[in-house]
Amino acid sequence: MNIVTKIALGALTLLFIGTSPVSAQEETTDLANGAQLWADTCMRCHNARPPSDLTMRAWSFSMNHMRVRAGLTGEETRDILAFIRASKTENDKQ
Amino acid sequence: MRRFMFASSMSIILSSTLLLASSQSEEIAQLKKDVEALKVRDKEMKQSFEGNSKAGFWLAGYAAVDFSSVENGDSSFSGTKFAPIFHAQYGDIFQFEGEVEFTVNKDGSTDIELEYAAGTLFLNDYMGLQMGKFMSPLGQFVQNIHPSWINKLPSAPLGFGHDGAAPTSNLGIALRGGLPKIADTRSNYVVFISNAPSFGVADDGDVVIEAVGNTGSGSAYIAGGRYAVNPIGNMEVGVSLATGDITEELLSGDSIVRDYDVFGADMVLNIDALNLRAEYIQQKIGENELSLLEGGTWKTWYAQAAYQFSSVNLEPVIRYSDYHNPEVNKNQWALGVNYLFASNLIVKIAYEINKDEDDSVIDSSANNNRFLAQLAYGF
Repeated sequence: MNIVTKIALGALTLLFIGTSPVSAQEETTDLANGAQLWADTCMRCHNARPPSDLTMRAWSFSMNHMRVRAGLTGEETRDILAFIRASKTENDKQ
Repeated sequence: MRRFMFASSMSIILSSTLLLASSQSEEIAQLKKDVEALKVRDKEMKQSFEGNSKAGFWLAGYAAVDFSSVENGDSSFSGTKFAPIFHAQYGDIFQFEGEVEFTVNKDGSTDIELEYAAGTLFLNDYMGLQMGKFMSPLGQFVQNIHPSWINKLPSAPLGFGHDGAAPTSNLGIALRGGLPKIADTRSNYVVFISNAPSFGVADDGDVVIEAVGNTGSGSAYIAGGRYAVNPIGNMEVGVSLATGDITEELLSGDSIVRDYDVFGADMVLNIDALNLRAEYIQQKIGENELSLLEGGTWKTWYAQAAYQFSSVNLEPVIRYSDYHNPEVNKNQWALGVNYLFASNLIVKIAYEINKDEDDSVIDSSANNNRFLAQLAYGF
């Protein structure tokens, strides 16, 4: 239990040091970074699914899932979503 | 007279044509109006279904049908799997996801298993606090590669299935996310505390580590994590560690704990259409004089290469895996070819060459080679 307690305390310390309100995060996105991450990160585990496969709303769920599974930062997740949105045709964006 | 008739005919044809053209242009205008109205209605309907609210849910998942033909054994449609994944979220602050796996047994009955069910609170850009039953973050295969439409072969590498050398899930709490770039290098991490796994004899007589996220661990826990770096964009190298206790129920009904340690290392590299992947993982069980079961090390590794010929949608795959525990020493070559109807709809065929290195396996079919086929769909 000692090591467990130490790790728990370390994690909690990190948590309090690193926590900032979500609403304070910047909403700017980087399309080029999103495209690069899309190419690099998705293909490491699976075939990349084209943006037209899912609606933007479904992509927002999918990207939150991948944020956890692939260890993406919030900013990287938003960049990839912005790239997907930009890649979809006008009729396909709903 | 002929002139008159010709002129009359021409005027009739001309006026008919003008009338028709006028009528057609009216119809086209009306159709345009109808299309615009339908677009507006379609948008309204989508908004009424999906809205712009922060809360919502989405159903994804995967399914697969398998056929196998075992050397000196049976040929049959050996399984079908349906694994819906429920996602719910509140904006980009919180998400819950759960996967239920339905599989068909040999006798036609259905097994249902809760693979994972966990909520993640995104504390900031670099931290998500995950609680519940989550796929083991130790290594890569179990957490990220096991879905049928992602795994490039119809079977898992030796030791990466249930009760193998790789832990499958944890019930506890984890802190995870991506880290800020250091010298332009991306990295990510997971640290967790969970209930201890259990150790014992399975129904088939094998001594197994059930690292499957249970609630009956008493006050025994494990702590661990994985740290991975991306030295280049299309490469990831990860190291996993965990330590703590493992519980065992004695024949007397008493529970004891034993030392438990996990170590793993994994690597993936994409070079254009070539995907290279390798992973090693081991679970080590300490001794306890009260138990009749010996401890030891359950370890496995695999290396895999796949290349996608996108012009013909074909992907040949080769994999070697090697699994050792105190009772078993096995290895396997697997050769396969996939046809991709789409990135998430794949037909796979493969041939496994299985070898029981010291004929120690209780199951006498461990040396038998197998032909496998699978249709996998991710949705």
